[in-house]
Amino acid sequence: MTAMADTSLTSVERKRSRPLNIGAILLGALTVICAAIWFFPVFWALSTSLKTDDEAVRRGIGLLPEAPTLDGYLYVIRNSDLPFWYLNSTITSVAVTVIAVFMAACAGYAISQLRFPGRTLLWWTILASFMVPVQALIVNHFIIMASVKLLNTHLGIILPMLITPVTVIVYKQFFDSLPREFREAAVMDGANEFQLLFRVFLPMNWGITTALAIITFIGAWNSFLWPFLAAQNEKMMTVTVGITAVQDTFGVAYARLMAGAVLAGLPVALAYIIFQRRVTQAITLSAGIKG
Amino acid sequence: MPHVELKNVTKRYGNVEVINGLSLAVEEGSFTALLGPSGCGKSTLLRMIAGLEEITQGQCFIAGTEVTDVPPAQRGAAMVFQNYALYPHLTVRQNIAFSLSIAGASREVQNKRVGEVARMLRLDELLDRRPAQLSGGQRQRVAIGRALVREPKVFLFDEPLSNLDAMLRVQMRLELAKLHQSLKTTMIYVTHDQVEAMTLADRIVVLDKGIISQVGTPLELYNKPANKFVAAFIGSPAMNFFKAEIAGRDGEAYSLNLPGGRTAKIVSRGGTVPAAASVDVGVRPEHLKLGPAGAANSHFDGKVSIVEQLGNSTLLYVDTPAGQLIVEGEGNLKIAVGDTVGLSLDPAASHLFGTDEKVI
Repeated sequence: MTAMADTSLTSVERKRSRPLNIGAILLGALTVICAAIWFFPVFWALSTSLKTDDEAVRRGIGLLPEAPTLDGYLYVIRNSDLPFWYLNSTITSVAVTVIAVFMAACAGYAISQLRFPGRTLLWWTILASFMVPVQALIVNHFIIMASVKLLNTHLGIILPMLITPVTVIVYKQFFDSLPREFREAAVMDGANEFQLLFRVFLPMNWGITTALAIITFIGAWNSFLWPFLAAQNEKMMTVTVGITAVQDTFGVAYARLMAGAVLAGLPVALAYIIFQRRVTQAITLSAGIKG
Repeated sequence: MPHVELKNVTKRYGNVEVINGLSLAVEEGSFTALLGPSGCGKSTLLRMIAGLEEITQGQCFIAGTEVTDVPPAQRGAAMVFQNYALYPHLTVRQNIAFSLSIAGASREVQNKRVGEVARMLRLDELLDRRPAQLSGGQRQRVAIGRALVREPKVFLFDEPLSNLDAMLRVQMRLELAKLHQSLKTTMIYVTHDQVEAMTLADRIVVLDKGIISQVGTPLELYNKPANKFVAAFIGSPAMNFFKAEIAGRDGEAYSLNLPGGRTAKIVSRGGTVPAAASVDVGVRPEHLKLGPAGAANSHFDGKVSIVEQLGNSTLLYVDTPAGQLIVEGEGNLKIAVGDTVGLSLDPAASHLFGTDEKVI
């Protein structure tokens, strides 16, 4: 015990003797200020959602609710199709995540590891496709989905959202970075392409798949424009669309609106908090591509 | 019948020809080393036997069956890679059992075979570790185990020891030699390290620019190199070369006018060369004898420019009329930089090379 105490004392003394790094302190302070600026709207939404409607429209700045209440939340839950919206969002987001990540892994693997005619053209097409904004394709998507009678269906919401070229690019880059000996060793061991992908390549770094899955899920949950167009029936709406579509029914009731917004963003916020490290990794992985 | 045979094999990448009409026969149970400098095509040749590289032209046979177009896994060959290629997410046990698992072997069979291999390679204690938790030598043993578990007809090693430090390399060399002795399976081993090839192989194939320069036992290559490339490549320190002029012939021996004005008689290996022709003389450092400068039997006098004392031997770099020659002397040689010495060639251990670089 004495020895341990001595050691800790020494390390404390060492820390104390370290010179102050003014640059690091200023940078730290700037980071805290930026974080506070970013967090304030979130805090404001949370605070407002816990106020009564009277308090929410009262003059002056009340940072915290005087008498916190869940009335806003209860009103939204009772007077909207929120459970349906949650269900729709969950079905579409999970489906988009599973299918898009699976397809992207297969496509990334094929482009990286297999040699077939048109491979380069396919790769350039994928690279070019993520330069086209979704908004530019939305009319086409709508016409196609309408023509195959998939509007107001889960499949109709899901299909156009499966186009995730960045995920393919991230996978391709990952597979490219693996030494070719892994592939060759597995080929010598008798593995076919599916076994190579699912038993060797993907398990080598589940972190990438997890990170891409989380970021795809968050993107799918938060997406608004396509679900807004594809789901006109209130029962088929996703949370983001539903909350927006029915805000008029709440009247000018900021507490209820904020409660709705908080409920809409809650799963994503929870996902972010739980998988913070993976989300950061996914953003880092795709940053080089998007940038 | 050879166990592994390549017939007129050619490998081209676009317009670049890496292997040119090469034929090679490897006997069953032999340990054959493919030796050569970087870029000579030795790894490409091994990969063609493994099936990892397509053969542009020619045929490949393993155990009498043509495997030119057979997928790698069905050739009966197992390969150990330079960087081990162990799957990092799998334990040692799973790595070794991977091929069995792919082949659909039952858990019981997998465990039995893994157990046998692990005992043979002393990996019993490491079976539940992942590759990242192993040392270089242990990883190498796992890589060998992964090949061993398949019970292949032929083992292919692609510079398997080059990632290990010098001490471990020697140790692993011994283990590989023991493994070959106990398994008696055909092994083909690619290396650029002549010491590895000389110590492990019973037969060495020296490759140069995609063609076979010479095939022979380690001592054949060392004592009777077929050409200047093999003579220069085999042996450390390398063989000395200098120009000389043919003065005459006496049976199998040629009289030579040496640089510096003296003469020497060197026994040829049956080749002929016209009088007054210029030839390259090759002599290994240990076949140059030291003596006093100006002695009647010495062929060159020279000044010692560098002395390297290695303990068991001493290397002298001597500046002579024939250029700088390396001489290997005893470990306790008392010669200093600046000393003048006389050097005499061992006529029976010296070699003559013609202008086409082939031995005369």
